[in-house]
Amino acid sequence: MVNLTIDGKQVEVDEGSTILQAAKKAGARVPTLCFHPVIEPYAACRVCVVEVAFRGKNDLLTSCNTKAEEGMDVRTASERALRARRLNVEMLLARAPAAEPLREIAKELGIEKTRFPVKDPDEKCILCGLCVRACEQIVGACAISFIERGTDRHVSTPFGEESEACIGCTACAHFCPTGAITVEDKYGRKVIHDEMYLGPTTAIRVPTRQAVPMVPFIDKEACIHFKTGECKVCAKVCDRDAVNHEMEDTIQEIEAGSIIIASGFKTFDARRIPAYGYGRFPNIITAMEFERLVNASGPTGGKVLLANGEEPKAVGIIHCVGSRDENYHAYCSRVCCMYSLKFAHLLGEKTKATIYDFYIDMRCFGKGYEEFYHRLLKEGTKFVRGRVSEITTLALTEKEEGKLIIRVEDTLLGAVRRIAVDMAILAVGMEPSIDHNRLAKTFNISCSQDTFFLERHPKLAPVSSFSDGIFLAGTCQGPKDIPDTVAQAGAAAAEALALADLGKVELEPITAVIDDKLCSGCQICVGLCPFTAITYKKDEGHSEINDALCKGCGTCVAACPSGASYQKHFRDEQIFAEIEGIFLI
Amino acid sequence: MNQEHFEPRLIGFLCNWCSYTGADLAGTARMVYAPNIRIIRVMCTGRVDPQFVLKAFREGADGVLISGCHPGDCHYQEGNYKAMRRHKLLSKVLEQFGIEKERFRLEWVSASEGTKFQQVCNEFTEQIRGLGPLNLNGNKGEHHEQRQA
Amino acid sequence: MAEKETQKTYRMHLMICAGTGCVSNHSYEVKEALEKELRKHGLENEVVVVPTGCNGFCERGPILVVQPGNIFYQQLSVKDVPHLVEEHFLKGRPVAKLMYSPPETKQPVPVLNDIPFFNKQVLIALRNRGLIDPEKIEESIAHDGYKAMVKALSEMKPEKIIAEITLSGLRGRGGAGFPTGLKWQLVRNAMSTNGGQKYIVCNGDEGDPGAFMDRSILEADPHSVIEGMVIGAKAIGATAGFIYVRNEYPLAVERLSIALKQARDYGLLGQDILGTGFDFDIQIKRGAGAFVCGEETALIASIEGRLGEPRPRPPYPAQSGLWGKPTCINNVETWANVPTIINRGAKWYAGIGTKTSKGTKVFSLVGKINNTGLVEVPMGITLREIIYDIGGGIPGGKAFKAVQTGGPSGGCIPKEKIDLPIDYESLSEAGSMMGSGGMVIMDEDTCMVDVARYFLTFTQDESCGKCTPCREGTKAMLEILTKITEGKGTPEDLTLLEDLAPAIKDTALCGLGKTAPNPVLTTLRYFRNEYETHIQNKKCPAHVCRPLNVYTIDPGLCLSQGHGCDVCRRNCSSEAIAGQKNEAHAIFQDKCIKCGVCYDVCAFGAVKVD
Repeated sequence: MVNLTIDGKQVEVDEGSTILQAAKKAGARVPTLCFHPVIEPYAACRVCVVEVAFRGKNDLLTSCNTKAEEGMDVRTASERALRARRLNVEMLLARAPAAEPLREIAKELGIEKTRFPVKDPDEKCILCGLCVRACEQIVGACAISFIERGTDRHVSTPFGEESEACIGCTACAHFCPTGAITVEDKYGRKVIHDEMYLGPTTAIRVPTRQAVPMVPFIDKEACIHFKTGECKVCAKVCDRDAVNHEMEDTIQEIEAGSIIIASGFKTFDARRIPAYGYGRFPNIITAMEFERLVNASGPTGGKVLLANGEEPKAVGIIHCVGSRDENYHAYCSRVCCMYSLKFAHLLGEKTKATIYDFYIDMRCFGKGYEEFYHRLLKEGTKFVRGRVSEITTLALTEKEEGKLIIRVEDTLLGAVRRIAVDMAILAVGMEPSIDHNRLAKTFNISCSQDTFFLERHPKLAPVSSFSDGIFLAGTCQGPKDIPDTVAQAGAAAAEALALADLGKVELEPITAVIDDKLCSGCQICVGLCPFTAITYKKDEGHSEINDALCKGCGTCVAACPSGASYQKHFRDEQIFAEIEGIFLI
Repeated sequence: MNQEHFEPRLIGFLCNWCSYTGADLAGTARMVYAPNIRIIRVMCTGRVDPQFVLKAFREGADGVLISGCHPGDCHYQEGNYKAMRRHKLLSKVLEQFGIEKERFRLEWVSASEGTKFQQVCNEFTEQIRGLGPLNLNGNKGEHHEQRQA
Repeated sequence: MAEKETQKTYRMHLMICAGTGCVSNHSYEVKEALEKELRKHGLENEVVVVPTGCNGFCERGPILVVQPGNIFYQQLSVKDVPHLVEEHFLKGRPVAKLMYSPPETKQPVPVLNDIPFFNKQVLIALRNRGLIDPEKIEESIAHDGYKAMVKALSEMKPEKIIAEITLSGLRGRGGAGFPTGLKWQLVRNAMSTNGGQKYIVCNGDEGDPGAFMDRSILEADPHSVIEGMVIGAKAIGATAGFIYVRNEYPLAVERLSIALKQARDYGLLGQDILGTGFDFDIQIKRGAGAFVCGEETALIASIEGRLGEPRPRPPYPAQSGLWGKPTCINNVETWANVPTIINRGAKWYAGIGTKTSKGTKVFSLVGKINNTGLVEVPMGITLREIIYDIGGGIPGGKAFKAVQTGGPSGGCIPKEKIDLPIDYESLSEAGSMMGSGGMVIMDEDTCMVDVARYFLTFTQDESCGKCTPCREGTKAMLEILTKITEGKGTPEDLTLLEDLAPAIKDTALCGLGKTAPNPVLTTLRYFRNEYETHIQNKKCPAHVCRPLNVYTIDPGLCLSQGHGCDVCRRNCSSEAIAGQKNEAHAIFQDKCIKCGVCYDVCAFGAVKVD
């Protein structure tokens, strides 16, 4: 521990602490500009200078990088320190008058106006080098640096061209205290829509809202540490030492009596329908993006805004995007009608926009759904019956200029209409989840024609698969809404519990048996059995089938040259009789 | 023996998990297909002993269909591959006996492919109708015809 | 081959200066002409021409010293050669008209040591200048080169070497004057992380305007620096060294490369030097022209391949230098002093100089002085001795006004302090510094505000821009000084300047910024009245700041002396002069742009400036 005096106050700090840390502990405020706690001190702005009496010398030292030492007498606001600090701030103010943190410090120090000539009143860069150091120390990319010297010094990429070393992490902009660095949006989508994108936003996040457990994780794909080996800022700032970059993925094997598959769905990718312009035109968003937009904790705080930050005057909701369409999915996704109606209602609540709802058929089959539809009819939503053919920005009239034009055949009017809106919401349908096929292979589950998992029987066994002990729940089995999913999941759980409750497994009665009197011990069957249920008893000179392992496929029976193997209920004689029987009639 | 009134008799060995369910689906979906096929359910196409096919032909079948899960989809992992191997060999043997190999057919029909089952049955029936009766056991065909009449 | 050539004896050695100054005055052409002429007379086996490093008396180049006899010839040209060869080398009659004649006596002085420029100098760092061919290691060895190294490697323990250097009182010649022995001790004691590697660095990034002693040493005697570094390496336990030299010194780089190669060939560098089991090798790193890279932390960054900008100290390079290893950085001149100290003993060395500053210092004399050149003088010598005795006084009989020492980081010392004995302490007391040894002499025609502005232009341009006070402060000071020299200064400007200078000195990150206000501070201290005259009277007493001048033509003189020669009118670019031949001319003040051309072209002194 080190004892020193800060403004006459005794403080004790850890060995290796800086004067700045000691001053903070003593409650003395020392302004800083080029300092950031997770980046090595740079001591360039010289705003944090304090007067230090130590070993008979009286010096002005930068507190951000000078180590506190036993017996130092520090005065953070001595006349000499203040004069130097003011002058440095005043000079910086002439360079970067638009830098907000600098102006605040200037105000604090009582500087109203700089006496030095101001070159650019909009300049924000104070040359603190945080961006350069973040890129080097945090990111490890070294994509930017200072170039030129003296007053010409500025931050730049090599030769001022696009830097190949830049990994686009935006750490420079993040660490810039004055907002002098902005990130260029290269994808034509504006900031709020960028945030609506549901993909990875930060490397550390909770997987989804309302995730269980509610614990953040590090996304290796997005984490800078796993790209460059540097950074680890999260570990530096975590007081609980909870961040561990060395953790590896582990594969856990769990023995289970039964499995419930509830692998869910993904939404239809609206880019697959080019005519709807998603990803090409701004202000065309999918239902999920709209959900984020209206969410009170979303990017706009729940306000429905266009890319330019204005409120839309007309909004179109397009039903059946990807559903009920032979080109994409023939099935009805079952939920889109109802959530579209909800959107229309929310839009009416939050905006003054005219709301158009383009539907093919209104499918309001659930409890209270039809009533909700009627409520919206009364609320004034304009329902247009017909499939939208395209969304375009090609204006034919002056009124359409700058709008999205929805072309649709109104089947009630029997006419093709062009409806200009500011925002279009695509009610995308459901598709099996990304790893659906892999799951089907793993669990040997058949799929129905719509590619969702096939249940054992649509009426009698709607939650079972063809394999014993494997049950289906939710949208992996077919599109359904939340109440249906909850009901099916409950049923699947009950089925699984029933198996567990029984405490024993009932064997199929169709297993194969080897008649040891006939068996010659050729062992052809042993190699054929996919379940390794057959063992050859060397001592006894014949093979034997384990009833518990045998699934009753009968492959061994068909292959047995001596007719020693037979399958219960599918004996050769029985099948011969069946064949004969057929020809009796 | 009147070619025009010939109604082939076909026997289908269908696996319990895919094709039999597929056939069931065709039924529940009330799809109409040729009534010439008689189905024998086995747990797996791997159970289909070559004897069954021979027996079927001997008893008077004009064609035999074996139908199971698509490759890789077998409920018993690989029974359908075994059936495929046996089908190849048996076809050669049948040719030696003078039975056209077209009369012995292997098809993959999954549980969801009701339409495919319908299509396979119709196609197979028409194909055998084109080939004419096998006549291993002549009366049976006539008997059938008489019954039809 | 080389050995044989060296051993060959000649009747006469012609030591021709091949320093940068003389080379640019065509000394190589003179050398070729000499060799040609000698061959013509069949003297090639009797007389040899030897190119040497800088002789120091650059004002008088190209210089030729004839040995034996130490006969000094100056300002030679190719056309002087035939006469010289025939008279002196063939007939043995030295040529008086090619010798140096002091302006006072006008009597030719034949022998070098009798010339006042040389006879007050004490040569330690420059001991071999003009005596050896720097491109031949044998000649260096013949002049005791590497003798000290042999002694240090075979007879002395590291502690003993450090003790010797400490006792000698040698202080860093780079400017700050940190005791060299202490620095070596610190590096020796520093614990090096992973692997125990330590480094030796020679700082040859000499950037001060008007300073060229490091260049001269590297060009005249590169072996003395290499030898010093090996001794230092042994003392601190380093196995690798770097010489950081400006790329603007191509001759120094070339001679260093040759010297390093020769030393390696002789087993004086590299693995197992002289069989003592000591390994050490040196690499040359060339600087890219940034003045700030002379600052040790910036220099380290530059060697490491990073942006050449300083970082805060501590940690000092002695603790964490090159690649985080303890590093000993010394200036070229410091290294060159080391072998002599080991050879002749610390006591002998400590006997030269003052109480706190021992030994000698090399200064480059430039500016308004007769004998421009490089001098090595003992510490404690007075400015008067340097300027008048060695330097030969101010040309044109003008009055001495001030001397600027220490380059752009130093300050101006006024004529009142001409009897100041020079050492580290006295100079900093006077507000200046030793620096690397630049000495710019100024006469009465010098405007001190303009001098301060000139040095600020340099530091402002060379500031790396990392810290606020240096980057913004030097610019702010320069702007104020420019305003004052343009006659736009206000009393508030002077207050702001007096505010700025100490604050910059107080808060700048590195030596460059900390010393940048020195020219302003010293001129304000000693010549405040000049600033005030500029601001209040809008006049420049030395008439240097042209915007403040008022040019008039004395009609009487114009007519009586020049008969209205009309030269001024023809040269005036703004048509501000009226008159014609045989008439008195006059200047229209409203049109005059104060370029001063009329004043410069008038041969009769009729144009007056006020």
